[in-house]
Amino acid sequence: MASHADLLNAGRWDDEWKSAHERIDQAGYGDLVASAYRQRGPELADIVGLEPVLRLGRAVSEFAIRTDKRTTSILPDSAVAVAELLYRPDAVIEWLLIVENAAKAAPSAVVVLLENSAKILDRVDLAGFKAFVSMGLAIGRRHPERQAAFFKMEDPEARRFFDVEEGADRYAALQGTLRPYLRAVWGIEPPMQVAAPDMPEPMRRRVGFGGGGIRMPPSFAGFDGEESRRIYRAAVAHVGAHHHYTEQLFPVGALKPFQLAVISVIEDARVERLAIRELPGLAELWLPFHVAKPGGPPLATALLARLARALIDGDYRDPDGWIEKGRTLFEQAADFDLSDQSLSRTIGGLLGNDLGQMRIRFDAKGYVVQPAYRDDNIGIWDFGDAAEPAIEMQDIVEGARVEQQQRDDGKPDDEAEDINDSEAVGKVSLNRDASEGILVARYPEYDYLVRKDRTEWCSVREHRVPEKPADAIILAEKAHADISSKLANMIRAARTGRTERLRRQADGDVIDMDACIDAAISSRMNVAPDFRVYSRYERRSRDLSVLILLDVSNSTDDAVQGGSRKVLDVERVSTALLSSTIAGLGDKFALAAFCSDTREDVRYFRIKDFAEPYDLRTKMRLAGLDSGMSTRLGTAIRHAAEDLSRQRSYRRLLLVVTDGEPSDIDVDDERYLVEDARVAVHSVNQKGIDTFCVALGSDAPSYADRIFGRKGATTVTRVEQLPSHLPAIFHRLTR
Amino acid sequence: MQPRNNLDQASVIPDALKDFTIVEEPFYRASGEEVALFEAAYRMRIPVMLKGPTGCGKTRFVEHMAWRLGQPLVTVSCHEDMTAADLVGRFLLDADGTKWHDGPLTMAARLGAICYLDEIVEARQDTTVVIHSLTDDRRILPLEKKNEVVRAHPNFRIVVSYNPGYQSVLKDLKESTKQRFSAIGFDYPDDLAEAEIVAKEAGVDSAIASALVRVAQRSRNLRGHGLDEGASTRMLIHAAMLTRQGIPIAQACRMAIVLPITDDPDVREALTAAVSVCF
Repeated sequence: MASHADLLNAGRWDDEWKSAHERIDQAGYGDLVASAYRQRGPELADIVGLEPVLRLGRAVSEFAIRTDKRTTSILPDSAVAVAELLYRPDAVIEWLLIVENAAKAAPSAVVVLLENSAKILDRVDLAGFKAFVSMGLAIGRRHPERQAAFFKMEDPEARRFFDVEEGADRYAALQGTLRPYLRAVWGIEPPMQVAAPDMPEPMRRRVGFGGGGIRMPPSFAGFDGEESRRIYRAAVAHVGAHHHYTEQLFPVGALKPFQLAVISVIEDARVERLAIRELPGLAELWLPFHVAKPGGPPLATALLARLARALIDGDYRDPDGWIEKGRTLFEQAADFDLSDQSLSRTIGGLLGNDLGQMRIRFDAKGYVVQPAYRDDNIGIWDFGDAAEPAIEMQDIVEGARVEQQQRDDGKPDDEAEDINDSEAVGKVSLNRDASEGILVARYPEYDYLVRKDRTEWCSVREHRVPEKPADAIILAEKAHADISSKLANMIRAARTGRTERLRRQADGDVIDMDACIDAAISSRMNVAPDFRVYSRYERRSRDLSVLILLDVSNSTDDAVQGGSRKVLDVERVSTALLSSTIAGLGDKFALAAFCSDTREDVRYFRIKDFAEPYDLRTKMRLAGLDSGMSTRLGTAIRHAAEDLSRQRSYRRLLLVVTDGEPSDIDVDDERYLVEDARVAVHSVNQKGIDTFCVALGSDAPSYADRIFGRKGATTVTRVEQLPSHLPAIFHRLTR
Repeated sequence: MQPRNNLDQASVIPDALKDFTIVEEPFYRASGEEVALFEAAYRMRIPVMLKGPTGCGKTRFVEHMAWRLGQPLVTVSCHEDMTAADLVGRFLLDADGTKWHDGPLTMAARLGAICYLDEIVEARQDTTVVIHSLTDDRRILPLEKKNEVVRAHPNFRIVVSYNPGYQSVLKDLKESTKQRFSAIGFDYPDDLAEAEIVAKEAGVDSAIASALVRVAQRSRNLRGHGLDEGASTRMLIHAAMLTRQGIPIAQACRMAIVLPITDDPDVREALTAAVSVCF
């Protein structure tokens, strides 16, 4: 390939390169830096030409000011390595801009980024690199100590990033269908979670279960496309079979690892045989993964895989006596009664002893169950108290929610944290301090700088709302009697003013006399009469679900301008008045509030669910709301929309009441959360959910319009007017 | 054979109802005491409500009972746009003026038939109140527009069906309507019974029938978790009939069960995969 430097006007190169490196030489950055630039500059020019070299000169100065000599001296090396990958001058310049930016934000960690730039760019494109750096910088704001590990691609979150970017996280693409699949086949739906990036590799390669959930590998190596779908299905169907037929955990007792492995193979075969008896098609699902064959080194792993095959595949023949013995014992038991799980222990025990006498090496540490769809077998063993829990579920609880139930004595039930599915594998224990909230979901967040979602970036925790005496709300409702009576009129009008008389209909309850006479006249005149001679009354029915989402961030603690009441108090009263209106109209509605304390803790408070009545308890919860924390609007919108999307109404409306621009303590860029919220609103709208924002305060229009669109937001400048405005806004929206 | 009750002495069926008489026995396999319960309510002229998921045999049961009792059956499929006039009747125009036409409810009440309102919640609540006066001891139907009060024939009965699965606030019966009825609960029959029904109705062997019942159970597992309702017995019969035409069972299930029941691609894929483990 012709070098760029050759093609350059030799004179221009000489002049400009000379002045550039002389500037660096004389700037006093030290010899290390100056010689690195002098040496690498021409090499870089050879690959991508003069422009990036000159730009590199400026970047060197920038680095010298922001960081230390060592970091600065690495920059030219790094630039050459990157140029060899990117090959385009503009791309190299773009890369320089990104690392310069990183040097400003994270002067101490940027050296790691420089060292790893080429490695990162080997895996993702430049846009991916930018997104990666942006995530790293965001993490560094809260956890500077994690930043270096992140840039080294060792931090769990960095690994997850690459899993997703490289499409390695195949589970992510399949989870939407695996859950209903497991439910359809076995009628269970335990929480499923992909193995965390920081788990030991063997755990990431096989399915595991226990602790009330299923741990899924991010992908099965060597299985692509349709194969990958099949193995995931085979895997969950196998776990379902355990759930169905392995009724008790096997006590580990004094059993040795290889004995555990043999007994597990028998138990796997037992539950699969039973499952196939129930659902014959499962044989076809599992069999193709059994490919072990005689031959090969006499390793325990290979023998176990062959045994597994011999027990499921009736056509398979194995010359090995031990395997034949296993098959005979198992078939004898199968002809008799397979439902007794102790036979796995018995047969497995016998075979295990034989295996011990055969002196075949068993590497317990490196043992990975074969075939790949089978779980790691840990879930069927009881290790007693001493061992660590079989499975470390990341503590997300899908389908869980904080529910507040009333006990007969009228006190809120403290044990009422339920997950929806009590029939899940075992029981998920949620005996955790309620003040922490329950992690219920993770949502992506949109990074407008790189125009990409950050996957599973924000965690939503549902917190319980304390119930406090609602006297203040009830008093306030009375104080706003004028509004209440206006609202009552409005309701009456909305309810009764809606029957319409439709005339000249082809079909109806009563005859429309005028039309009838016209038709009679027509027919006497021998003109074809209009037969639409009926009229009927029709009531237009409302079919609406609305979720009102209140911002209770710290700023709502401020007093209303020129008054003594707090913003939150006004929100409370307004919501109470609006709620009576909606309840009066008979629309379905829910109330929720949110605030946030970094992306790890977006707090969501359910005040009233759709199914609950609007009553004193709801008001008590409304009274129990407290101001605090920040406003991570986008995530709250995504979570509320999840709820709303389950409603079956013709129209679904998300009404957000907020008093300030989205913000959070782990975000410096003012625009970032605004843009994320805008994207969240957009995606929610695409799901067929309408959004509307009531922004409080005088600075509201700028951000509210940006997020919700000009027609999707209204501003209430004088907050004290909210009680009368809010129901009117609602009425206008839903007319 | 003894007369089943002492009320049907006027068992000559008027000409107008001849078309509504069921001549051949509709196949129905009882899964409980429903036949005896229905007959008891029939004798005592108590209105009956049949509750249960779609396609579990409510309509077939009514047809069977009408045949059994030798009564004509007037069926009205309720829908949202149905008006009271659709049930009661209305004036129609003819060359010389207007002429009253009885609606199905009036006809059944006047001439003596079982009036079956299928999926009654689909009708608007203000429509269904017209049956109130017929369902209590008055047994009358006032026709205000005609200035007439129809007194129900002794053999008139009212039966409604009602699917509690997809009721919402908007689609529910008024309390005053509900409380006029006695109710018989229906559900999908148990495995063996359902397989027997599928085999009999579609004329397939019991192996295919029981495989289809397993398919149905897979889909019923998804009720409320992606599907509003699981596959009905009716769907199974359709699938079984398709296999009789030489369609492979997997394809028959896809055509008669999976594709009609859901539009969600994830659920469709999951269900297709779950169906394939059943045979």
